[in-house]
Amino acid sequence: MQSRGGYLMRDKPSVDVKSKMKAAGTSRQIIPKSIRKGMNVDAVVYGNSKILKQMENDALYQLTNVACLPGIVAPVIAAPDIHWGYGLPMGAVGAFDDKDGVISCGCTGFDINCGIHMIRTNLTRKQVEPKIKQLIDTLFQNIPCGVGAKGKLRLTLDQLDDVLRTGANWAVENGYAVKADVEHMEEEGCMTGADPAKVSDMAKKRALPQLGTLGAGNHFLEVQSVDEIFDAKTAKAFGITKKDQVIIMLHCGSRGFGHQVASDYLRVHEKAAKKYGIELPDPQLVCAPVNSKEGQDYYKAMKCAVNYAFANRTIMTAWIRESFEQVFDKKWKSMEMDTIYDVCHNICKLEEHEVNGKKKKLYVHRKGATRALPAGHPLVPKSYRKVGQPVLIAGSMGTASYVLVGTEKGKESFFSTCHGAGRVMSRHKALKLFRGEQVKADLMKKQNIYVRATHGKVIAEEAPGVYKNVDEVIESVHSAGISKKVARLVPLGVAKG
Amino acid sequence: MAYKYIEGITSDVMFEAEGKDLDSMLEQASLALFDVVCQRKKVNPTKKIKIKVEGSDEKDIVYMWLSALLSESDANELFFSKFEVKVNKKGKKFVAKGVAHGEDYSSEKSGTVVKGVTYYNFKVEKTKKGFKCRVVVDI
Repeated sequence: MQSRGGYLMRDKPSVDVKSKMKAAGTSRQIIPKSIRKGMNVDAVVYGNSKILKQMENDALYQLTNVACLPGIVAPVIAAPDIHWGYGLPMGAVGAFDDKDGVISCGCTGFDINCGIHMIRTNLTRKQVEPKIKQLIDTLFQNIPCGVGAKGKLRLTLDQLDDVLRTGANWAVENGYAVKADVEHMEEEGCMTGADPAKVSDMAKKRALPQLGTLGAGNHFLEVQSVDEIFDAKTAKAFGITKKDQVIIMLHCGSRGFGHQVASDYLRVHEKAAKKYGIELPDPQLVCAPVNSKEGQDYYKAMKCAVNYAFANRTIMTAWIRESFEQVFDKKWKSMEMDTIYDVCHNICKLEEHEVNGKKKKLYVHRKGATRALPAGHPLVPKSYRKVGQPVLIAGSMGTASYVLVGTEKGKESFFSTCHGAGRVMSRHKALKLFRGEQVKADLMKKQNIYVRATHGKVIAEEAPGVYKNVDEVIESVHSAGISKKVARLVPLGVAKG
Repeated sequence: MAYKYIEGITSDVMFEAEGKDLDSMLEQASLALFDVVCQRKKVNPTKKIKIKVEGSDEKDIVYMWLSALLSESDANELFFSKFEVKVNKKGKKFVAKGVAHGEDYSSEKSGTVVKGVTYYNFKVEKTKKGFKCRVVVDI
């Protein structure tokens, strides 16, 4: 049938992409551009044999759609946690020429700068485990969780504009964080050039009550302990020094503000694609030429959402620290609760990469993918520059999470790697198969993991069984060499929206 | 049932809604949407928000109406549980005017965050019985 934009909308991919992939190195496959008319470049898919079996053909086909867009620079990248997503699949990267390419809000997605903030402590599992229920309940109390949670901050529109322009720096200036937190964040917690004038009134209205809220769905706050250290030198540089050390992982994004910015610009880019005669292989991949007004307006609005998310996560670090102070009756500084790093998952950035041996500026869209810079890269914080950028990977509420580090080999994937385990089961099916209260009881009984959520449905939807095996995801990127294992973390307690 | 959820999307939610006309189909699609956002049957329709959107065709008006519901719910911190909507054609444009009824956000009645309405497999079609739509929402 014809879609609104007049493009052919397919129910099923017309090509069995999976059968046409060719092995090209360890845990690395190529989807040659020859398999489908209109592909400008190849796609590269990372995953070992176990992961490849689980990959959906629909998601792989989406890679071939992106490969058809103008100005795409080879190759389109898929990480092992790839699954179907809006336009660009989750776990994918599309890089575009800074003159002939496009910026696509469809490629960045709805949850702009969904990401992970990680905080270390000097506490051990032995100290925290007996108090885990009290700790998670306190965190759940102090941090607004869930779609119905009301934020504790009520900003004025002027204050909101400051947040949108300055990101995590706003949190520092208003006493929620310290300078060292911001120094250990991607982009140092702020993308410059954000313009609040490019954001709709509705987006701002949604932003006002939600700053400092976790959200729901796959967003969470987890208290973890170090299970295994693979690279002691790098781990030490990140502040991870011993097995059983307690670490905190916060996963959330730009909330309703980012969703509104994305929705608003999907309309703008839909019209722009028609206006500039861009042939779309999929109407979800609406986009605009990089240097058009529609392209740059989105880039400036998206930066506002990126900065909102940076501020959101950083504000919550204050309440995480307060919660630990309440439960352990110590100051957060004496518990050495320092930010390890903060990474972005859904984002578009103008970055410099090597293309055919020459340095080139590219608009890199990462969707459900993490930047992973190597040792020596100037954008890695000074304290980590000798080892490389920390890469923070979330598992599910019953499985491990990982800290990785960027590598020089990562240049083949625009210094990008996976972001999590990646779903294999729909929410609908999860609700049929699992009962939240049973999942919660099993996690406590079998693994001693305490889960607190607003309701059982979210636990069922996010049960460990709905995700790929995170260990295989990590083995895939590690063996392919686009990032390397540093430490494995296991959950002690989880707060979910 | 005038709406049902459909298997087949890994991370998101897909539903179909039908009605004897575009208005009743939109109301059913709205109910399906807010069964995801909140525990709709527990939400009392004590507050109301007026909503008006324009679209270029029948598909566009469905997309715009559902997107507006998500925005208004979030901006006004309300869960919706009851909907009234009337679609009129004015010249080449379609205009949907209506009211969403609900109550203040509360954690106890929350569901899952819906990030947006997508164009993936998005369909609106005339049937023998009236109208039918298929919608995928991003979670």
